[in-house]
Amino acid sequence: MTRTLSYPAALRRAIIAPLLVALSLALVTAAALAQGGDAFDRQSPPMDPREAFALAVEPQPDGSRLLRWDVAEGYYLYREYLAAETEDGRSLPLETAPGVTKDDPTFGTVEVYFYGTEARLGAAEGPVRVTYQGCQEDGICYPPVTDTLPAIGAAATWPAAGTEPAAVEGPAESTVSKGGITLANEGGLLDGLSARGGPFLVLAGFFGFGLLLAFTPCVFPMFPILAGLLAGQDGTVGARRGALLSGTYVLAMAAAFGLLGLIAAWSGQNLQVALQSPWAVGIVAGVFVALALSMFGLYEMRLPQAWTGRLSGIGAGRGGTLGGAAALGFTSALIMGPCVTAPLAGALLYIARTGDAWLGAGALFALGLGQGVPLLIAGTFGARMLPRAGAWMEGVKAAFGVVFLAMAIWLGGRLLPGPVTLALWAALLLGAGVFIGGLDRLEPGSGTAPRIRKTVGLAAILAAGIMGLGAATSAEDPMRPLAGLRPVEAAPGVADNEIAFTPVTSVPQLDAALAGSDGPSMIYVTADWCVTCKVIERRLWPDPMVREALAGTTLITADLSEFDAEGQALLDHLGSVGPPTMVFLDAEGREAPGSRLIGEPGVEEVVASARAIR
Amino acid sequence: MTNLTRRTALTGGLLAMGGTALWTATRPARAQEQPLRPTIDEVMFDPANPVLGNPEGDVTIVEFFDYQCPYCKANHPVLNEVVEADDNVRLVMKDWPIFGAPSVRAAQLALGAASLGSYLTANDALMATEGRLDDALIEETLTKAGLDVAALDAAYGENRDKWDGLLTRNGAQAAAFQLRGTPAFIIGTVIYPGAMDKAGLENAIAMARG
Repeated sequence: MTRTLSYPAALRRAIIAPLLVALSLALVTAAALAQGGDAFDRQSPPMDPREAFALAVEPQPDGSRLLRWDVAEGYYLYREYLAAETEDGRSLPLETAPGVTKDDPTFGTVEVYFYGTEARLGAAEGPVRVTYQGCQEDGICYPPVTDTLPAIGAAATWPAAGTEPAAVEGPAESTVSKGGITLANEGGLLDGLSARGGPFLVLAGFFGFGLLLAFTPCVFPMFPILAGLLAGQDGTVGARRGALLSGTYVLAMAAAFGLLGLIAAWSGQNLQVALQSPWAVGIVAGVFVALALSMFGLYEMRLPQAWTGRLSGIGAGRGGTLGGAAALGFTSALIMGPCVTAPLAGALLYIARTGDAWLGAGALFALGLGQGVPLLIAGTFGARMLPRAGAWMEGVKAAFGVVFLAMAIWLGGRLLPGPVTLALWAALLLGAGVFIGGLDRLEPGSGTAPRIRKTVGLAAILAAGIMGLGAATSAEDPMRPLAGLRPVEAAPGVADNEIAFTPVTSVPQLDAALAGSDGPSMIYVTADWCVTCKVIERRLWPDPMVREALAGTTLITADLSEFDAEGQALLDHLGSVGPPTMVFLDAEGREAPGSRLIGEPGVEEVVASARAIR
Repeated sequence: MTNLTRRTALTGGLLAMGGTALWTATRPARAQEQPLRPTIDEVMFDPANPVLGNPEGDVTIVEFFDYQCPYCKANHPVLNEVVEADDNVRLVMKDWPIFGAPSVRAAQLALGAASLGSYLTANDALMATEGRLDDALIEETLTKAGLDVAALDAAYGENRDKWDGLLTRNGAQAAAFQLRGTPAFIIGTVIYPGAMDKAGLENAIAMARG
C-alpha cells in the first residue's frame, strides 16, 4: 500500500507528533510528582493492550489463518484465554502452541507466552472474532481484547501490524449509549488529564502543549515583534529590562487566551466555528503576507510611533512601556488563535461540557504561558545578542519571509481552488530559488558555499517548474504535482466522481437515515462555512482508495450550514465539537473505538477507520 | 501595520473579543448535556458497594479488582496493612470481573455475603486464594472461611438487581476512566494504574489529604 502524505496532513503530523511527546512528558512528570518524587521506582504506565499484544494475521492458501502475537517486553499472554468464534458466536478451533509454565503462589500454574506466539485458526466463513488476554508483569491484568478479522477474500485486509486502529469491541472499550447510536467513549484530552491527575495535570499538560506550539511557525511572527519592542531606539536593553518587557508581553498573551476560555464558558458556545470562518482564515493569511513583505524589506515594520516614543523613555516612562508590551502581547494572541485550533478546541469543549470556566480558562492561560517561554528567554538573554544589522541578518529575515508566505499559502489553501494553491507554491519556490541564487553566475574560482547555494536554488526552481506544470494540469497536491498527467484510471464517467451522501440537519433525520441502513455507516459533520471541509471534499472523497474503503457504507452528511439549535443538538448527539468530524458506526450502530476522525485526515486514516466498521 | 496606535490596537483587540462574545451570546442556548464522567460521589460513595477499613475515614481508596487477577491478590496484604495502620481510610473494593465466569461467580457470592454482614470474611478468603479459580474452589474457600455458600447464593439472589446494578456501574466507571485493567486504584482524585507498594500507597494517601 503506497501512500503519499498530502501536504497539510504532513504538516499537521509534524506538529502533532512533538505535541504528543510533550504531553506524555508532562504526564510522566505529574505522575512522578504524584508518587512523591520517586520517579525512578515507578513502573512505566501500562501500554495499550493492542500495542502490548500486537496481532498480525496471515491468511493461508487453504482458507485457514495464521495468527501471530508479538508480545512486548515485560508483558505476557495467557494460553487458555486465546479463543476465536464466528460473528454469531460459534466457537472455532484454534491450535495454540504450548506456553511457558508460570508458577507462583498468587498465580497458580498457568501457561503463558512471553515475547510472542503463533496459533492456527481453521478455515471459517465470514468475519471471525479473536479474543486474547494478558498482563503486564507485576503491573496490571487487561480485560479480554477482541478483534474482528474480516472474511478472507473480502476487499479489506487486516493490517500487517497490529498497531493500526481495528474494529474492536470489548469491556475495555465500553460505550455510552445515546439513543439509536452508541458512541465510543473516548473522553477528550482534557477529560483524560483531569481524570488522571486533577487540575494540576490539566494545567501542566497545557503548559507543555504551549511549549511545543512555541516551536511551530505560528510563533515566528512574535520574535520580530518582540525584537522591535526590545530594540527601542539605540538597540541596547539590559537583561532585567528585557525580562520585564517580554514577561509582560507573555503574560498579556496568556491572559488573552484565558479570556477566550472565559468567554467560551460564559456564552456556552464553542468558538471553533468562529476560528474556522473564511474571514478568520483569510485575515490571518493576509497578516502573514504582510509580515513576509516586511521581512523582504518592502517596508520597515516598526512599532507605532507612540510606543517607540515611550520606549525611549520620553514622557510616560516605564509604565507606558509596559503597557505597550501588554497591548502587543494581547493582540498577538489573536493572531495566533487560528494556529492553535486543536488544543483550543479541546479546552473549549471541556469548558462547555463541564461549565468549569476557571479550569478551562486556566488551561488556556497555561497554554499561553508555555508558548511564551522561548519568547521570555529570547527577551531576557537575547536582548544583548540580537544580531547587529548586516548581510547575515538580511538572510535570516528573508528565510522568515519565505516561511510566512508558506504559512499564508497553507492557510489560503483552504479557501482557494487546489490548482491555484499549487501554482502559489510553485511561485514561492521559484522566488526562493532565484533569491537563493539559483540563476546567479558562478565564477570559475567560486568556493563551495556559492556552489551549494546555486544547487539549492536550482533545485527549488526545478521543483517550482514541476509544480507549475502540475498546476496547469489541474493537479492539487504539492507532493504529487504530476498526478494530473497520469492517464485517468478506468473512470467510467465524471459523475462517478461524486459519492452519494444523505444529508441530514437534525437528530430525527439522522435517526431516520440510520434506520434505513442495515450495514455500517459513516456520518460526516460538515458545513458550507467550514473551509477545511472543502479541502476534504476536494481531496478525500474523489480518492479511489477512500471510495473503495467506503463502498457499501451508508454515507450521511450532518450539515450544519444553518447553525441553529437543531444543529447544536445534532453535534451534541454525535459528541462532536464541530465540523469537520467523521463518525464511523458499525452495522449495529456502534462507533468503532479509535475510528473517529477530527480535522483534516489523510487518505490512510480514512481507509483505516472505514475498515474498522466492516 | 505601520500606523497602528496603541489606542486603535487596544480598541481593535477588545472589539474583536467583544464581537465574538456578542456573536456567541446571541446564539441559541446549548442543550443541557449529561456529563460523561462519573462523579466523585458515584465512584467513592456508591451506596450499594460495601465499605472496608474505617467507613468514617477522611480518605477513600477505591480499587477496581478481580478475584482472579494475580497482582490484585499479591497486592492485597500490603493494601490491608496500610489501611489498618492508617486507621482513617475508607476502602472501597470495586468488583470488575475481567477473567470470565469464575470471577463473576466469586464477586456474586462475596456481595451476597455483604447482605449477611460477612463481606470482609468472604473478600479476605477469596483474595487469599492461590491462582486460578473455579466454582468448586470458590465454594470450598468460602466454606472453609465459615460461610454457608447456599445462604450466600440466596442472599445474592434476593438482591440480584442491586448487585448486578453495582457490577454494571463498576464496569461503566472503569470504561469511563479508561482503566487499562486490574488492579487500578483511585485515591483522592488521582488514578493509579497497576499494583502499588506500601510507600506508594502511603504517599498517595498523604497527597489526598493535601
